[in-house]
Amino acid sequence: MAETLRRVLTRDGAAWSGEENTPVAGPPLLLLGAPGSGKTTLLFAAALEAAGEGQGPVLFLTRRPLQSLPRGTGTTRDPMRLQKIRFQYPPSTRELFRLLCSAHEASGPAPSLLLLDGLEEYLAEDPEPQEAAYLIALLLDTAAHFSHRLGPGRDCGLMVALQTKEEADSGDVLLLALLQRYFPAQCWLQPDAPGPGEHGLRACLEPGGLGPRTEWWVTFRSDGEMMIAPWPTQAGDPSSGKGSSSGGQP
Amino acid sequence: MAAVLPAVVEQLLSEMAAAVQENARIPDEYLLSLKFLFGSSATQALDLVDRQSITLISSPSGRHAYQVLGSSGKTYTCLASCHYCSCPAFAFSVLRKSDSILCKHLLAVYLSQVMRTCQQLSVSDKQLTDILLMEKKQEA
Repeated sequence: MAETLRRVLTRDGAAWSGEENTPVAGPPLLLLGAPGSGKTTLLFAAALEAAGEGQGPVLFLTRRPLQSLPRGTGTTRDPMRLQKIRFQYPPSTRELFRLLCSAHEASGPAPSLLLLDGLEEYLAEDPEPQEAAYLIALLLDTAAHFSHRLGPGRDCGLMVALQTKEEADSGDVLLLALLQRYFPAQCWLQPDAPGPGEHGLRACLEPGGLGPRTEWWVTFRSDGEMMIAPWPTQAGDPSSGKGSSSGGQP
Repeated sequence: MAAVLPAVVEQLLSEMAAAVQENARIPDEYLLSLKFLFGSSATQALDLVDRQSITLISSPSGRHAYQVLGSSGKTYTCLASCHYCSCPAFAFSVLRKSDSILCKHLLAVYLSQVMRTCQQLSVSDKQLTDILLMEKKQEA
């Protein structure tokens, strides 16, 4: 799933070199961020990206219908792509369980991508970790079943967005450990900026062993459009994280 | 795909699959490796396999699940695709403490896959839905 997200994130930036053009889904990906950090927008952009690949429909699960389609990241919202996104709105945790447990009963082509927005809302109903674990396991099992139905060489990806709180309590720490066990790939959206006087978010993508960690700078224009650029890592940049640069203060 | 087992476990299981004939005994070297990796869970898992306690429940859609009859008489549901088991030991040691890799039921499932021996049960798609849903806590 990280690959599809990476394609979304790098479209505005430099081309990712050395990639083969095989649409392999990769490990399930967890998208994390505070309210308003752009998770739904990114999730939707990934849905459009996958829909455009022609691999099959995309299943987008969320509790409430989106008030308006997210502005996206510069891709024209091609109606052909939109048609391939099937939205479903399970209103409760029980309904989500029912949807996942019965996913194999549905006829028609299997989705090539399964997305869930707002996992925290479903988990909040059932604070027991065992229930949370079963819900997450069912998400993975449903994606695995779709992969099986898609046939050899094809996979159904899984991408889930979870809203994080300002301060984590002990229950959250446990939940996060659980999620990291099941979601090898993660993308964190945190408020950050590459330099003084700038604002926006740092999107940090950990592909879960498939490649190095990469970072992008995400901002929203006044019309709501999401702009993405690679996170600048000039030598001497104080926010570049990993040490190693040779530059001192300019 | 889904959550993966540690590489050493994957490797051992695939070596065993290649080496073990259907329904035959597991060679000693693999038994030793199993005990090294899993401790007492290995013996308990092998016991479950010997007692034919694992059932593969399959449906026409291709989706399937495993059920394991535990030593207490309770039946647990295992999802092999993502390494999940409904037993309390899984919840406690695997999810919380993260020191055990697998519970004995999941290990029994993988061993029965390797040895290609387990009970088979075919159900309808609808019945499989009900089985999966049943795991959700029923108490109000």
